[in-house]
Amino acid sequence: MKRFELPCIGDAIATLETRDLYLGYGRRMVVNGLNLHIPQGQVTVIVGPNGCGKSTLLAGLARLNKPRSGAVLLNGQPIGSLPTRDVARLLALLPQDASAPEGITVNELIRFGRQPHQGMMRQWSSKDQLIVENALHAADLVELADCALESMSGGQRQRAWIAMAIAQDTPLLLLDEPTSALDLCHQIEVFELVRQLTNAGKTVVMVLHDLSSACRYADHLVAMKAGRIVIEGAPDTVVTSALIEELYGVSCVLLKCPQTGTPVITAIQPLPHKQQKQQGQTEFVAEEFQC
Amino acid sequence: MKSMVVRRPSHMAPAGFWLLRLGPWTQLVSRRSFVAGALLLLLLACACLVSLTFGGSRPIPVKDALLVLAGQGDAVSRLLINTLRMPRILAAVLTGAALGAAGCLMQTLARNRLATPGIVGLDNGATAFAVASIVATSTSLLPSILALFGAATAAVLTFALASGSGSRGYRFIVTGIGVGAMFSALTNLMLSQAPIDAANRAYPWTVGSLNGTSAVAIRALAAGLFFGLPWACLLGRQLAAMGFSERVSISLGVRLGALRMTTLAATVWLTALGVAVAGPVGLVALIAPEIARYLAKQRGVPVLNSAWSGALLMVVADWAGRNILSPIEVPVGIVMAIIGGPYLIWIVLRQPDRRVQ
Repeated sequence: MKRFELPCIGDAIATLETRDLYLGYGRRMVVNGLNLHIPQGQVTVIVGPNGCGKSTLLAGLARLNKPRSGAVLLNGQPIGSLPTRDVARLLALLPQDASAPEGITVNELIRFGRQPHQGMMRQWSSKDQLIVENALHAADLVELADCALESMSGGQRQRAWIAMAIAQDTPLLLLDEPTSALDLCHQIEVFELVRQLTNAGKTVVMVLHDLSSACRYADHLVAMKAGRIVIEGAPDTVVTSALIEELYGVSCVLLKCPQTGTPVITAIQPLPHKQQKQQGQTEFVAEEFQC
Repeated sequence: MKSMVVRRPSHMAPAGFWLLRLGPWTQLVSRRSFVAGALLLLLLACACLVSLTFGGSRPIPVKDALLVLAGQGDAVSRLLINTLRMPRILAAVLTGAALGAAGCLMQTLARNRLATPGIVGLDNGATAFAVASIVATSTSLLPSILALFGAATAAVLTFALASGSGSRGYRFIVTGIGVGAMFSALTNLMLSQAPIDAANRAYPWTVGSLNGTSAVAIRALAAGLFFGLPWACLLGRQLAAMGFSERVSISLGVRLGALRMTTLAATVWLTALGVAVAGPVGLVALIAPEIARYLAKQRGVPVLNSAWSGALLMVVADWAGRNILSPIEVPVGIVMAIIGGPYLIWIVLRQPDRRVQ
């Protein structure tokens, strides 16, 4: 694999961990007492069923959700106590619902990534210019640099957002389902880019739905259910059909990809006891209706 | 994706920008918005000159007007220009600039092109307070000062009632319209109960007029703008990231809460200054940023250009109001409404496929 290099890439290091973290919305608690240490220089992928709190956790890691109790520690300090601008130089988040100002071009979007490094009196440097141009190259968007973001396809748009996060040049990158809108080819491209970034020393945390991709690209896999970590570790050792059953309530076939050697998961059908429960509920409703 | 590496940047600055450098300090200047600003200032100068010389009770030749400005000229021209026309034009320029910049800030803050200080009730608050000071005989305070407080009261009320909504400009606008309606009802109630003389004196405050602006007011306005406009420009830079969804702008290191509060304060300050002198001509705040954006074709926050186009609009509207139905004078607020109403409709018609945002 080609080694990814950015001549001006920052070599800042940052550690990220949670201590007994509780996150929630309103009265509902979504993340329940989580202790997580993000391994440096690796790809950490968080998986789990819908509503298990993985996106909430990612937002919490990026200081967007205030902890109910416990803490998110960035370089050992509670993230909420650090100036948000300083945090923005250490940690970039690409949320799922990212939307940009109307009519913005790719170039302008990527330039915004440099904002945390700029000041009122120091608005642009050759380093900024260099990093923006390199981010354009890394995301393969040089030809599209002056296109309006709105006019581009979902895949191109997603690459532009990732390029912006690259231009932010932070040691930590948090990506919330970065490939959800992409076709197979663009998915692979994004994952390869992520891999190259970690090769260059970055730490990446992703939330993914696709288990097979998660197994292939994660160094560290975190499986979550109901706001708790079920298990974490290297994908090969962690992912078993028992785990898939527990997480998603489906029976599955677990294969080893002959090419990459990583687990490939195919869901077969919902587990019987869950089916029964659903049937029971339907019957109950029907009875009520008859009354 | 390719991992080609650029080792030397191909340009010094992003396309379309000038990079100004002074020691460690660097500034990016958008070429388009610079040219647009220069154009607006040129037009403003022309409009002022036309307003000084042409129309009114007695036209003054351009040459004489320039002589007076240079400190010479005959007595009659000096009187006309120095004591009658010049203060009025100055008032138009300053109030227009204040309202234009305020409109630009608030549109950006609420992420909605319809969210201008006038629409969210600031103008109505100012009017209600000013009218109260004229109608209620017990108050001897100057209406201008009370108008300032009125705008601030309306803003605080709107913000307090809509708080907790933070990002959602929509809620802020609807609350503002409600607060504005209450103040407007209050104004009408006072006018209906007041003696006819007092109601007459209060009338300019309900439509917006530059007639009889005092020199003191103009000086105060200029002083207020001296701080307010640079403040607004600084905020404009930071507000550029407001167009992103909230999570993205926080991720980029924007202190959203603090930025919102300071922007609102600056908006209230500028609006209050403008309204305290000219009355409710809030439509300037709607149209001026639109012109600035159109000219510069930029996605940024054109605070300064909005101020210039606001000033231009005010001077033109005031001149038109004085001359179109001469000798009857149409208050500048009414001229503005005649321009602004169709303009609002045009915004909607021009972009049937896009959100009005």
